[in-house]
Parts: sequence; structure tokens; C-alpha cells
Amino acid sequence: MSKKILLAEDDEDNRDLVSFVLMRSRLGAELIIAENGQEAVDKAFEHLPNLILMDMQMPVMDGWTAIPILKGDKRTKAIPIIAFTAQAKPEDKIRTLEIGCAEHYSKPMDPEELITLIKKYITE
Amino acid sequence: MTSHPQNTAQNSPSGGADKAAAKQCLLAADRFLKESRFQDARAEIEKAKKLDPGNVYVVAFMDRINYFEAEKKKESPPPSSPPVPKPAPAAVPSPKPAPVPASAAAHPKPAPSAVPVTAAAPPKPAPAPVSTPPEPVPQAPKPKEPVPHAPPPPSPPPTPSEQKAMETTLEEMKRQIEMLSHSLEQEKKAREEMTKQQLQSNVLQLRTAMEKGWLNGAPNDEEAETLHKLAISLGIPENVEQSLRREVKLKMYSNAVKEVISKRQLLRSSSSTLEWLRKVYQVTMEEYLEYETKFLLDLVADQYKGTLLYVSPNVKAKDDLIPRLKSAGYAVVLSATPEEALEKIEKVNPNLILCHTEFAPGSLSGIKFLHLLRASPKFNFVPFLLLCEGVEVPQLQSSELRPHEGYLQKPVDVDELMIAMNEKLAHFRDYVSSLS
Repeated sequence: MSKKILLAEDDEDNRDLVSFVLMRSRLGAELIIAENGQEAVDKAFEHLPNLILMDMQMPVMDGWTAIPILKGDKRTKAIPIIAFTAQAKPEDKIRTLEIGCAEHYSKPMDPEELITLIKKYITE
Repeated sequence: MTSHPQNTAQNSPSGGADKAAAKQCLLAADRFLKESRFQDARAEIEKAKKLDPGNVYVVAFMDRINYFEAEKKKESPPPSSPPVPKPAPAAVPSPKPAPVPASAAAHPKPAPSAVPVTAAAPPKPAPAPVSTPPEPVPQAPKPKEPVPHAPPPPSPPPTPSEQKAMETTLEEMKRQIEMLSHSLEQEKKAREEMTKQQLQSNVLQLRTAMEKGWLNGAPNDEEAETLHKLAISLGIPENVEQSLRREVKLKMYSNAVKEVISKRQLLRSSSSTLEWLRKVYQVTMEEYLEYETKFLLDLVADQYKGTLLYVSPNVKAKDDLIPRLKSAGYAVVLSATPEEALEKIEKVNPNLILCHTEFAPGSLSGIKFLHLLRASPKFNFVPFLLLCEGVEVPQLQSSELRPHEGYLQKPVDVDELMIAMNEKLAHFRDYVSSLS
């Protein structure tokens, strides 16, 4: 059974790029896309992915709101979440860890580094 | 018959004269015999016999004539009857031992053939006048014929009509052979074409499978083995397979590079991303360096093709063409009127001008704008494309547009527009190159 990764990202180019990198990583993971926080919560409950990549700045519902919901639900609280954000200040990183994120990944991305990070959670 | 005056004149009872006349007759008979005038020869012999009845050579000579006549008849077709050599004169016993005539004694001859005193010998030795019968002329033994049967008689020569029929048949056979040869040649060509098409089809099939396999990077071992087995099953030679694999790999890598570079603002480092891609597609450094120029040219071509001044009355109404032009790699500068375009053109310095023909009343038309630019030493060679209505086409057709100028009828097909733009830009490049 293939692993599932949920990507919550409102920017189409970023979604395409993550998809591009994931396909070439040959991890064999299924990528589920959500364009905002609300959709991310809904799809997380529906698919129960193995990993969530969450952009923190999104319309409708941002990552700061969506992550506590997911961490508060027993179905999704164990799913590792990587905060995927352009906010690279140390306090931002601390804050994301405080709300339950496993990692904080700062944009812009480096494909090889991102794959290494994803592998860490997918293969565990 | 030839007469001999000596014979007729000298018919005296004198034995010596008769013998001499008889000798002349024998000489004459000998000449006639050489000429195959057998009747004349016999007549001469008869005369000689009357003149000198006791001459033994007369009888022998008569036999000789008979022999030669028979031989002659054998040679001439068709033989009426097989030649039967007469018995030798010697077989006929002489009535008495002939006294050797004086003349003969003076010139003794061993054989009757030698009787005529001639320098030339008779064609064949005459039978001996002695008791031995004349033997057939010795002949060289003929080799035995291996074929027991006689050869078939030669066929008669064909008649003209038969010859004509044979020629017609030959012509027909030639024509049929030519037709068969032509058909065989056609069939051979068709087979070769089929083989070629089959191979092309198989290569295409393998290429498609390879492109799918290499889309997201180098295939894993299992996928690579599957592709190799497919190549074998399609009968594609290994060198072709290798060449195709390399081609597909570099194409897929090139596409991936272009795709990722288009989003380079989202990447931390373009160079590290390209290096990662090189590993993903298993592109060697040699291959990368070999194709680097091509990759870079593709990237540049996709990113920026030039600056385009687009003069359109629909600018504010969000012309559908604008995003298409931008996505094709053009930097698009918009102007709502030709007047506005004239104001911007110095600053923009466009590589190509795209202009509608009709504008709001009081404004310049597209054609008038073109004429103004033609008068400008700086912009008169900038490629210029007019976007016109159908009714304006005849007028534009008759106008003398230069190679870097042209028109397209609205509604504009984007692909057609891109082709026309590339064509005009090519003219402009040629013109600029010619200046150097």
C-alpha cells in the first residue's frame, strides 16, 4: 500500500514544484492536494495521510488554524506535519513546533533537502 | 563433241598413223575425263578403239571413265543408285598380249592412267590393267558414329508468315518478362517499405514506452529490464536501443530542467537543483556538457523571445491574445492607439510590432502607422504585422508589403500568428546580419 502525502498549499507554482520533486524522488507516494486549510482538514480526515506538508499562509483557513484542529483529533493527531512556510524567523520556527509540527521547512525549497526530510517521515 | 583433226584426217590404213591418232583420242579422252565430260571421253575412246583396236589401254580407259562417272554420281545428290565400281579392266582378259606400241614403249607407263601423256595425274589412280581387280580408293577410316540413328533431317526454313508469328511470340514473351520483372521490383520495394515502416513503428512504440519510463527520472532496475525486453520483442537492435535510450533520457532531462527553471524563484538554488536533476536522470557530466548549450538555448528561447509592441484598441478590454503572447516568451508592451505607440516606441525599442488596422475615429489607422514608421530611419525595418478584418484583405493583398511586413485576418489563430511572427523576425535577423 502506497504512502500518502497531503500538501496544503494555495500557490499553484509551489504545488507544481512539490509535485515535480516528489514524482522524481521515486518514493512511490500518493500526493493529495489541498488549496487551503479547511480543505486540508477535510482531506486529512478523509485520507488519513502518512505526512502533511502545510503552508502556514493560506486563504479560507491558514495553517496556524488548521494544524491545531488536526492535532486535536484522535484520527489525525499522530500524523507528522511539516510546516511549509516562507516565514524563516527563529520565533516562527518555535511557534510551529509549539502547535505540534514535527518540522519547520523554510521556503524557497531545495529539492534534495525536501526529499530527505520527507523520506525521514515516510519510511519511519 | 570436240573433234580432233588429226583423228579424222588421218584415217589411213597405216598402222602407225592410226596408233598415233588413237593416242590423240586417248589424250582427248583424258582431258574430257578431268572435266567430267564422260560422254565426250567415251566418244574419244570409241574413236581410239576403231583406230587402234588392239590398244589395251582403250578398254582400261573405258573402265576408268565408268568408274569416275559412278563416283561422280555418288557425290551428287540425290544418288539414283549406289555406285558400283565396274570390274577392273584387268578383269577382262585381253584378247592377246598387247604389243607395246612404239609410243608407249618410248614412254612406258605402268598404269593405264598414265597412258595419256599429261603432266597432271588423274584425280585417282586408275585400276591396274593387270589381273588384279580394281580396289576401291583407300580412304581414311572414319570414326565410328556414337549415335546409331541418323541425324534428323534439317527442318525447312520458316516461311515469312511463320517467322512473323515467331517474332510476335518472342515480343510477347519479352513483354511478359518485363512485366514480371517490374512486378517483382514493385513487390520488393513494397516489402522494403513495409519493413521500414514496421521498424519505424516499433521504434516509435519503444520511444513512447521509454519516454513514459524516463518521465520522472531514470527507471528502476525492474522498469529498465521491462523496457529492454520490449526492445528485444520488437526486434530493435541493441545499438539502436542504446541510442534511443540516450536520446530519450536527455530529452526528458531537458524538459525537467526547463520545467524546474521556470519556477526558479521558488528554489533556494538553481544550480543545486540542476545538479539534483542530473543525478535523477543519470546524466553524466560529459553528456551534460555536450548538451549544455542546447539546454541553455532552449531555456533562453522559452524565457524571452523579444519585446513586442502590441497596438490594440482592446487593450483595456483584456485582449485574449496578450497572455498567449506572454506565455510564448515575449515581453509585451501595450498601446491603445498608434499615437500612444509612437510615444512609447523610442523607449521600448521593440523587436516586433503587432497592430490592429482600425481604431477609434480621429485616431491613426494601422496602415497609416505603418507608413509613418517606414519614414523613420530607426524603425523602418522593425517587423510589422497588421491584424485586419476580412474586407481589408484585398487592399492589403494589393499593397506592396516588404518581407518583414505582413497581415493576418481576424479572428487570429495563435499558432498562425506565432508562425508569422517567427517568419518576420527571421527576415529582420537576416537584415541585421547583412549589415555586419
